Amino acid sequence: MSNDKFKYRVEIQQMMFVSGETGEPSAETTGIIEEIVRGQVIEMLQQCTNLASRRGSRSISTDDLIFLIRHDKAKVSRLRTYLSWKDVRKTAKDNDPSGGAGAPDPADILDDAAAGIAGGAGPVQMRQKKAKIGLPWEVASFFSEQVPEREEDEDEDEVEANAATLQRLKNADERTRGMTRDEYVHWSECRQASFTFRKGKRFREWAGFGTVTDAKPNDDIVDILGFLTFEIVQTLTEEALKVKELEDQVLLESREKSKKRKREKFLFHAEEGRTPIEPRHVEEAFRRLQVPKPKSRAMRNFSGGVVKSKLTLV
Amino acid sequence: MNNNNLLPASWSRQLSTRDDVTVLAERTRTNSIETGVEGGDKDDVVDPTIAAFRQRYNIFEKRIAMMFDTRRPCCAPPDMEFAALELNDDFSSANVDASGNSAADNARPPARKLDDDDDYDFDDDEDEEDTKPKAHPPLPFKPASSLSQSSEPSSGNIIDAKKSAVATREKLEADRKAAEEAVKRALPSMFFTLENDRDAMLEQQKLEESDRQVNAETNAAQGNALGKLSSANLGASSLTLKHLIARIDAKREKVEVSDMELRNLMSEVRKNRSKWANEDKIGQEDLYEAAEKVVLELRALTEHSTAFLNKVNKREAPDYLTIIKHPMDLGTVMKKLKGHQYKSKKDFVEDLNLIWQNCLTYNAEPSHYLRKHAKAMQKATQKFIPLIPDIVIRDRAEVELEEAGALEVDAEGESDDEPIMSSRGRKAPGTKKTRKGARLEGTPEVKAPVVNLLRADSNPPGNDSQVSVGINGFPTPSGSTPIPNGLAHSISQMDIDHDRVDDDTHDVEYQTWKTLTKKARAKVASERHKLFRDNHLNPEEPALLRSRDDMGRFLRNEEKHARSAQDADDNSMEQGSSNTKLVDTEQTDVEELLPDYYDPLAAVPELPSGVSWYGEGDEVDLQDDDLRLAPRGIFTQPKSELSRRMDANIKQMQETRKLCSKIGVIKQMQVQTQMYSNQFTKYDPKEFIEADVEDFVVSEGGPIMCATVARAALQKSVGKIFYHAGFEEFQPTAIDAVTDIAVDYFQKLSKTLMVYQEAPQHQRKFEPEEMLLHALYENGADVESLDTYIKDDIERLGSKLNGIHQRMKTHLTELLRPALQDVGGDGSRMFNDGSEQFVGGDFAEDIGDDFFGFKELGLDKEFGLSSLSVPLHLLQGRMHSTYQTQNTSAVALADGYKPPPPFEPVTHELLEREILLVKSFFLERLHASNGEPLVEDEDLPVKQRLPKPRLPPSGKILAPRKRPMHGQGGNSKKKKKPNPPAPPPPKAAPLPSKGVAMDRSLSKISEADGDGNGGMMSPESLVGGGG
Repeated sequence: MSNDKFKYRVEIQQMMFVSGETGEPSAETTGIIEEIVRGQVIEMLQQCTNLASRRGSRSISTDDLIFLIRHDKAKVSRLRTYLSWKDVRKTAKDNDPSGGAGAPDPADILDDAAAGIAGGAGPVQMRQKKAKIGLPWEVASFFSEQVPEREEDEDEDEVEANAATLQRLKNADERTRGMTRDEYVHWSECRQASFTFRKGKRFREWAGFGTVTDAKPNDDIVDILGFLTFEIVQTLTEEALKVKELEDQVLLESREKSKKRKREKFLFHAEEGRTPIEPRHVEEAFRRLQVPKPKSRAMRNFSGGVVKSKLTLV
Repeated sequence: MNNNNLLPASWSRQLSTRDDVTVLAERTRTNSIETGVEGGDKDDVVDPTIAAFRQRYNIFEKRIAMMFDTRRPCCAPPDMEFAALELNDDFSSANVDASGNSAADNARPPARKLDDDDDYDFDDDEDEEDTKPKAHPPLPFKPASSLSQSSEPSSGNIIDAKKSAVATREKLEADRKAAEEAVKRALPSMFFTLENDRDAMLEQQKLEESDRQVNAETNAAQGNALGKLSSANLGASSLTLKHLIARIDAKREKVEVSDMELRNLMSEVRKNRSKWANEDKIGQEDLYEAAEKVVLELRALTEHSTAFLNKVNKREAPDYLTIIKHPMDLGTVMKKLKGHQYKSKKDFVEDLNLIWQNCLTYNAEPSHYLRKHAKAMQKATQKFIPLIPDIVIRDRAEVELEEAGALEVDAEGESDDEPIMSSRGRKAPGTKKTRKGARLEGTPEVKAPVVNLLRADSNPPGNDSQVSVGINGFPTPSGSTPIPNGLAHSISQMDIDHDRVDDDTHDVEYQTWKTLTKKARAKVASERHKLFRDNHLNPEEPALLRSRDDMGRFLRNEEKHARSAQDADDNSMEQGSSNTKLVDTEQTDVEELLPDYYDPLAAVPELPSGVSWYGEGDEVDLQDDDLRLAPRGIFTQPKSELSRRMDANIKQMQETRKLCSKIGVIKQMQVQTQMYSNQFTKYDPKEFIEADVEDFVVSEGGPIMCATVARAALQKSVGKIFYHAGFEEFQPTAIDAVTDIAVDYFQKLSKTLMVYQEAPQHQRKFEPEEMLLHALYENGADVESLDTYIKDDIERLGSKLNGIHQRMKTHLTELLRPALQDVGGDGSRMFNDGSEQFVGGDFAEDIGDDFFGFKELGLDKEFGLSSLSVPLHLLQGRMHSTYQTQNTSAVALADGYKPPPPFEPVTHELLEREILLVKSFFLERLHASNGEPLVEDEDLPVKQRLPKPRLPPSGKILAPRKRPMHGQGGNSKKKKKPNPPAPPPPKAAPLPSKGVAMDRSLSKISEADGDGNGGMMSPESLVGGGG
């Protein structure tokens, strides 16, 4: 694999590791994943640009981006949490330049957010500053006056989204429980993997910002994309793992059958270790995620013609 | 029904043996189980298969009746048919069992076979069974008495025999009639096809043609003799008449009546005499009467007789005459009859049989279709022959001579048959009869044993009387003329199967019906035929018209049904009577057996219940029960939990919006220095009430379909959903587009459901619920997503809205009553419990002032404001300024300056002294204010007053003065120039917003103002006007 073609091999490997892949995936696998992610990003940018131009704007906004994933409420909720914590970080850093070790780290933000959710009692100061990201399709926009904030209320949506987040955190907890210190360091390093963090320029080039969308996107958009790309890799990996599990099961069964016939065992017959995800698993996972929903062609029923399927956003 | 159809071939043998030994008759009969298909035996036969078949047949019969569902109870049950059958059976069983048998035979004349002749044999024998013990046994002992003419017992016997024979014939007739009756009664329950009509027509045509031909020929032959004959006939009728006629003839010239009339008169007088009567020919009347009848009957069997009506055409069969030496046909027979060419029954019968025999001879091929007909005719002939008296016609003179001799043995005597019609004329020629009777006496003694013996020996299958004729005429059966019966019998046995097949297809009732209605059907068919030419409708034909009579008949038939159904349904009876009222005009009552559907023109459609005819005016009663108001709520949202929740959400939104508008007002007030009560449009949303369509009337069940109304209803719902989704207003095109999409989607959904539902039975694998789920899935929805929608977008939305509403409310209260402890500073702190006390005497309320329209907005009630005065924090700035002005005035007073006297109001009088330039201006003003004195600017209410110009610290007036809001009279701002539009006091009821030129930018909250936003519509308007 030429280096200039695939730029995110390490990051993807790390993300996959975080998402549950223990083995070392081949460059080919990460290459495929990278291609998929890139396709998704470009698709998202394109749709965003369309939306923006429909609004009459030439530059895309974060709302456009969030609008694309509006149906995945859990994801939207995570994203909002991410963004609001990012804000908190920023302001905190501004207020206290010495305190912040550096630029906000997305993984840290995620962790903080999770901590905020799980612990509930963050520092008061932070909680006060945590701004809610309002979205134009929220209920609050029904009314001409701005709805005053209230601190204590927690949206049911968030509760739900948090449930998913908590589940992920719990899984991560399980995985890290038995880790040695070095392993944990590696793990936490991996958690910080990002397509965009400190690689803004590389990302823009990679995603083809100049060609796909006219304007120069602001940092928020890049951050959101960084978050979403991580999610994409995670989803893909999880799905691919499921595929692989199935495949392994079938293989195991067939091997047991053949074993019965063979009944031969070598002295040093070693059980094969866990193999990494292979490109075919990724492809299958991607296929599964891309299966068109009947919803998308409902209005074409009985009218014939070819139903064009768009790329589904993962 | 009747299992005679399955006559075994061995029947005749069995019978004859039985006849042979009369004593054994009973035993034989009981023994003959396999043959036991005849009359009285019928019940004894218990062949399980036959019984089973019979049962099955009955069941099927019922099924068929059930298939044709009818609302008329009278036609429905198959019992009808059975009743008729039973009646028939009763009839037969009431008589001698054999007559039942013969009745059955009569009922299906064409179905008979030669074999069935034995039935006749049997009939007669059976008939005589009760007489036989008297008649036959004594035979051997009779010879002595046979010579004496007036031997009591024998003559008695013979009279008995005769009587029984007459009875038989009567029974035959009665049976036939009964069968006809049965058919008539069964008619409504039977269905007939029209397939035979054409045949009927053709046959009928041929028959008529042949009639014409015969008539023409006989007329031509007898053209001259007719007058003579008729007179001869007249004269020949009776002795009394003879004298009368002689008398009339003698005085002919004196009688002023024409010959024709005379003849008619004569025939009237001697009604019971037929045209065949001839005094000079003994027996002619009887013989010819019967023979003619037979010929007519035979001809009437048009189904089979068609081929035999006329002479065989040479063109059709060139070689016919080479094969057939003596051609014969029914037409010729008729001709011969009319020409009095037959001397005896034998001659006649021979001729008849010759016809069939010719046919069978010529068409020797067994499968030839004519053979079937010939055989059928033969059978019919056999049936009819016994009805012909066995008479040899002789001249009266000769007979008288014989009588004188008194010893001659006459062939006629043996016959126990009497001419059918002779009963009519029996009384008149009394002498003849006794003579005849005397003549007859001799025969039985001599011949009967021979016959019996002969039968016993040779088993002749033929007819009893037939054989005896043969014997009588030709003592040897193998005489020069072959006995046609025997031959025919053998032939018929030869292809017995062939015939049987044909036979089985016949149905007695059907046959009877066919014969009964043949003429009528033929007529109908020919009329129908006329309408066509070369298989095309003939436009030249007169149009088909409905006739009142026909329709009347139809209605009467219907009424018959209705009447029989009366007890079941009184209503129909009424209807029936009203129908008669309608059409009960003078009627030519032609009782036809044709079913109604033969005359489709006459059919009158059944009036639906609820509509009836008035007697004379043919008016339709429009008071239709079916017409009713459509139920309400078809086009509105049905009551459900979902709709209830949506409505609640919508209401909640409206409430919250109200709050928002108040907040907006307050915020605006904080910003603005001046307020106008009409500046803010009130936000007062109406509650959504779905308008239903106006009452309308429907007359049928089922869904009410009206595309436009349904669409409007859907649009209403779409609008509601829009509102529910947060849109207060929307473009009409948007709602149209969404409605279109919704229509499309729902159509597709139902189409999918239909595809599942209408799958062929064997491919249907889903339960209805599964079908629904599949249909939903195919269209991108499933129960889960629907559930999520309800949960997220309705229930959760509801709770969210509630939360927002609460927050808004607190926000508003906070705005209205700022936290007092925060204010501080300017001494208002001392008023611990709020600004109300500060405002003090509550003057605002006293003067009824509602500064900001709080009352109108309803805030006073909502927040329990005791006073309508301005909240403290809002007053701060203004109070300060008023305080300042008060201070300044006070200062001025302190300085000792007297305030200038108030300006006089400008009036016309005042204007007199002014300069022209000003005068014209003020005149204009005055004119505008209707001559009222103009008011000074300073006396104007505060709100209408222009802001006082303030001198900037620099002491220079930099910018020209701002023009006043009102834009009127701004330039007249000089001293002494009162603001012209003596305006209504501003505290009066606020004007409607439309008239006032108001800065749009200020009225941000006037969104609900539907008139202002061109092209926009609100759900209120939609919902209101939706119906």
